[in-house]
Amino acid sequence: MSLQLKPAEGLWDKLWDTINSGLILIDDAGKVVLWNSWVAKHSGIPAGFALGHTLESLFPNGLSASFKTAIANALNYRLPIILSNALHRSPLPLYPVPLTQNSQARIEQSISLTPIVEDATRYCLIQIADTSISIKRERVLHLQSERLSKDASTDGLTGLFNRRFFDERYRAEFARAQRQNLPLSLIMADVDYFKRYNDTYGHTAGDKVLIAVANSLKSQANRATDIVARYGGEEFIIILPGCDASGGEVIAEKFRAAIAGLNIAHEKSDTAGYITISIGVASFQPGATCLPGNFLEKADQALYQAKASGRNCVKLLAI
Amino acid sequence: MSFLSELHLDALTEVFNIGAGRAALSLSEIVGDEVKLSVPRIQFYQSSEITAEALSLNSPRLGAVNQHFSGPFDADAMLLFTEERALEIVRDMMGSQLSIEELAEFEHEAMCELGNIILNACLSSMADILNITLHSSLPTYAVNSSDIILQQMVAAANQPVMLALHIDLAIVRRHSEGYLVFLLSSSSLEELLTHIDRFISGIGT
Repeated sequence: MSLQLKPAEGLWDKLWDTINSGLILIDDAGKVVLWNSWVAKHSGIPAGFALGHTLESLFPNGLSASFKTAIANALNYRLPIILSNALHRSPLPLYPVPLTQNSQARIEQSISLTPIVEDATRYCLIQIADTSISIKRERVLHLQSERLSKDASTDGLTGLFNRRFFDERYRAEFARAQRQNLPLSLIMADVDYFKRYNDTYGHTAGDKVLIAVANSLKSQANRATDIVARYGGEEFIIILPGCDASGGEVIAEKFRAAIAGLNIAHEKSDTAGYITISIGVASFQPGATCLPGNFLEKADQALYQAKASGRNCVKLLAI
Repeated sequence: MSFLSELHLDALTEVFNIGAGRAALSLSEIVGDEVKLSVPRIQFYQSSEITAEALSLNSPRLGAVNQHFSGPFDADAMLLFTEERALEIVRDMMGSQLSIEELAEFEHEAMCELGNIILNACLSSMADILNITLHSSLPTYAVNSSDIILQQMVAAANQPVMLALHIDLAIVRRHSEGYLVFLLSSSSLEELLTHIDRFISGIGT
């Protein structure tokens, strides 16, 4: 039976000291009876000095209040306790290299306190895991995921949300409006005679126009819930949650006026001597039944009507 | 349940109320803000009746912290964190940027600790008042759909009767409220009652 094969006394000591995490055993009075090499290395306190002392006397200024409470509770009630890294970070003053501890941050720690009873004597085992590496990895991954999710949802040229992000959010917003019985408006805008502009002024100038239009639309859509996206080419699309037909029309008119107000010269425009947009608005009232695809088509039809009515205007189709 | 008198319920409520007070103190220390736990409401359920609906857990998913206690009686104690409210408080405590769903999935250790604090506080006050010694395993944490968590819990406990404790959790400054359900299934409920009886008669003398 493996249980009978007990290692010799000296082997136990080597075991504790070989384990690559912190082990401290304290007795009922809070005095240290085991202090493994890992703890000695990272606290700068050798085992020979630590044995027989309390943690408070070994770390006079270094123990957090919650750690002291936890130790007291573990000894008092003899129930196991977890001190998570997320809530405590670094309860013990342990450092990667303790000799130069002034200039370094404490090791990130995960600690568990487990009561042990042997021969009617009560102990508390303190296990310390170094979580610095996982914390670092977490930070890097978090930064990366933030960047990626921004990249994945943003249009590179204008900085607006891209088509992909719009498609996702549109489905969600549409479903929400239907579920909660709220109105919803959708605005589709298209830069008038944009191809002619590109042909006349060049693509670099064309890009600048798209950026200016995007910025203007974004600054006009002032509710946090409004979603302004580049739908493709010179086409923009805006979701206005909770906005009914008259509200949608007002906002669309604001958009139209703002772009005209930019006063970007466009000699080849048949509509005006400057850059303008045509806008189609689709709105549905609470209770109206329609499918997301149809609703999008309505906005497209309204935009077509605006184009057909001489451009630089707003047309509304309500459901 | 017929075998539990009003007196028993009162005594148990008092036991857990002291526990909730202790837990609130520990939690306040961690959050650096006053945390309040309400006076627990105790209810007994037949295992077969235990559903998310019966426990008023209007949450599709739950985080569950589990500890096995042993002593004069054995008990599986479990703390359920509902997604929308309790987890929001937990997120506040941690100052985390994660969404509520991500929090329940990824912060296993922190969830374990919070459950551990509340479970230990309730059980240690019980040990104190009933003058018994309880031992416990380290907590484990699981997150899953409410139905699956409850099914697993009932199956693992394999007891006809379970005790549910409703505790409201609030952080004062943030005016946020949470809702916790503490489930305790005792394989020897009779033992627990004997100890409560002893406690009650102790008060009388």
